[in-house]
Amino acid sequence: MDNSNDEYHISFFKPTTPQAVANRNMVVWFVLIWFVAIFGFQILLRILEKPTPEPSFISFEKVWESVKSGSAGETELQEFGRATLSVLGKIMITPEERTTLDNALSWTVSQLTIDPLRAELAEKIRDFESIKASITDISDPGYIAKKVDLSSELSPKLGLSQNDVRSKILPLELSADLGVSLTEETKNTLPAIMKKYLVHNQSVLTDFKFLGFPFHYFYTAIFLLILFVGICWLYCVKTDSLNKRLNIVD
Amino acid sequence: MKKIYFSLLLLTIPFTSFAATGATQLEGSFKVGPAVILITILVLFVLVGILFRAKDTTDFYAAGRGISKVGSGMAIASNWMSAASFLGMAALMYGSGYHGLAYVVGWTGGYVLLLILMAGQIRKYGKYTAADFIGDRYYSQTLRAVGAIIAILISISYCVGQFGGIGLMFKWVMGIDYAWAVIIGGAVVLAYTLISGMLGVTKNMQIQYVIIIVSFLIPLFILTFKFDYFWLLPQVGYGSVVSDAVAGIPLAESQQLVNSFGHDFAIVPTPEYAMPWDPATGKTFYQWIAIAFSLMIGTAGLPHVIQRFYVVPKARDARWSVVWGLFFICVLYWSAPAYAAFGKILSAHPEVGTLAKDAIVVYTAQLGNVHPLIVGFLAAGGVSAAFSTVSGLLVAGSSAFAHDLYVKVINPNAKPKNQLLAARLGTILMAMIVTVIALANLALIGQLVAVAFSLAGCTIFPLFLLGIWWSDSNKPGAIAGLVVGGIISAISLSYFVAGKYGVTLPMHDFVDYWLGAWYFAIIGAPLAIIAHIVVSKMTKQTPLEIRKFLIEKVHS
Repeated sequence: MDNSNDEYHISFFKPTTPQAVANRNMVVWFVLIWFVAIFGFQILLRILEKPTPEPSFISFEKVWESVKSGSAGETELQEFGRATLSVLGKIMITPEERTTLDNALSWTVSQLTIDPLRAELAEKIRDFESIKASITDISDPGYIAKKVDLSSELSPKLGLSQNDVRSKILPLELSADLGVSLTEETKNTLPAIMKKYLVHNQSVLTDFKFLGFPFHYFYTAIFLLILFVGICWLYCVKTDSLNKRLNIVD
Repeated sequence: MKKIYFSLLLLTIPFTSFAATGATQLEGSFKVGPAVILITILVLFVLVGILFRAKDTTDFYAAGRGISKVGSGMAIASNWMSAASFLGMAALMYGSGYHGLAYVVGWTGGYVLLLILMAGQIRKYGKYTAADFIGDRYYSQTLRAVGAIIAILISISYCVGQFGGIGLMFKWVMGIDYAWAVIIGGAVVLAYTLISGMLGVTKNMQIQYVIIIVSFLIPLFILTFKFDYFWLLPQVGYGSVVSDAVAGIPLAESQQLVNSFGHDFAIVPTPEYAMPWDPATGKTFYQWIAIAFSLMIGTAGLPHVIQRFYVVPKARDARWSVVWGLFFICVLYWSAPAYAAFGKILSAHPEVGTLAKDAIVVYTAQLGNVHPLIVGFLAAGGVSAAFSTVSGLLVAGSSAFAHDLYVKVINPNAKPKNQLLAARLGTILMAMIVTVIALANLALIGQLVAVAFSLAGCTIFPLFLLGIWWSDSNKPGAIAGLVVGGIISAISLSYFVAGKYGVTLPMHDFVDYWLGAWYFAIIGAPLAIIAHIVVSKMTKQTPLEIRKFLIEKVHS
């Protein structure tokens, strides 16, 4: 039914008074700015982004085939171990992914230890695991001493300096039981886990820094909010002046 | 009954099990200082509530329409800055990085829509509640009742997240079980709302805003100062924290700065924290857009937000109160991501263990070695944020129950005394329902609150938008829109609840992704609007007196 042919009709898109026309134009402009600022920018981010690997992922890809086939040399194993530690340092990983990564890391450390010392190393790790399970306070001196010892002993095996954050994580992620072999499960799932955590959507908008922020982060977290307040303020000022001009009183 | 109690106990196991991790040590036992601060603040709220308590129904619903625009702006901000803003937003960014910013944008950008499309007109329409508007504009008692029921459902859904936040903070302060913390916290907020009503609530909201913002900012200044970032304006200073998390902080650059466990202020490169829709977060571009959109239109359809415009004297005040309100809100929203960024680095060591994301604001302050009393004040701020929102929501819900259902539909001759009694009974009932759902701990606070936004976006937003701006929008159109919006909401929520209890429905993954419980309004709202327009076009014209009212009172 066409209901528009009478004097008591309101439609945002067909304003009938000077006030309604001015208001319609104002609203259209502000909504347009608002929409493009929010969604336009995110679409631009999406268009410009490229999957960008972390250096650890490049190392992983380089050595993975030889590690999987059991033909990796010491340097390749070290690179592999360091790459898995790079993911283990990220707190987003799920318990299942952690188990896979722990298996890869523990097996690598075991492989980098000469055969006669492997049993001794496994014993040390087991000893540390039992202390870890028994303490009620992570500042327990005995626990800390064991942890530091293990880190100092094993970091060089992976080519990690004591200044590398990963050397601190290393003892916590080792498992004597998981170090026995690289499981089929790990062989099947590890590449996907590494790709998931070590490849990121980056572009010029994410790499460029502004006031210390990655630019896209600044734009979304700070600038958009300033823009929203600005739009609201401007709308109120414009509406007040429009009402004054047209002698409209609330 | 025993089974139910056992199930509730099972749900609380993650909160009570013990293991030697930093996380359990951060929880600790009863904390005297923070408890004293929390109790003092709660007593202050109740006293203010008594001092400014509602004397009659007009006071109860709309604070006598005597609140200034700046005061109303503070009340809007306080009402808005819930546990989801105070605790939940940092939690979302801590857990899923850039994806969490969709909530920041969604919960602020919606105010632009609210202002330019609705605020002044809603005030000019001159009704007490959202359901009042729907009933009058669509000349239907049935729609009034449906509007009231939707308002109650939205309020309940919104409150669930708040009760979760109150529970977490009470648990942290008192070292008690989560379930008891929710029950005690819920009882306190209920008592306070019953005593004060909207007038007390509005006065309290202004005090609450100050407490919320001061308690939130102080630890941030301390953290940025302590960890050697630009502390004079932490909202800008934390930009370097984000960049450092992305690039990684080697031990050599940690400058012997440590967290409360002695772990170095160092982290492996963590670009997934800031990069858009990073695969590591499991979130996609569509979800980012869908959440931002749903939250924005939900903002413009939330009954307790819309209701704030009834308490200002004029339409101009309603408009300016949005500007002030949004500015006050942004002060917190500019700051919240900083907690997530610091939290990311301070909890990077595996020994810290898995932290409850919703308490990351408090944990970050603890990990940053902020003085325990200041951390206690921060936790009290979190409780204040939840309290201010819950009280507003309970008033909105009980108004819908007493005013729109009881007086307008069930008993039109009810005396004001009985009406107030019905409002208070409605408040108690709602609080009980919310407590039971909150004990189930279904999702993160921010996500639970987002459900309410999508629900509002699919149902109330189209009714207000078209009701104000299009005089041909009529009763059959409104019913059609509500049916479509309601069906989409029901489908999404059914799949969500089924998934939570391990039931797989047909096309589960498809529906779960495209109609996720936090963002189903991106599909539901446009469909509801289309249905509303199509049916209105095909059916009988809106009555003359309503069109006349729109022209002469709302748009004149």
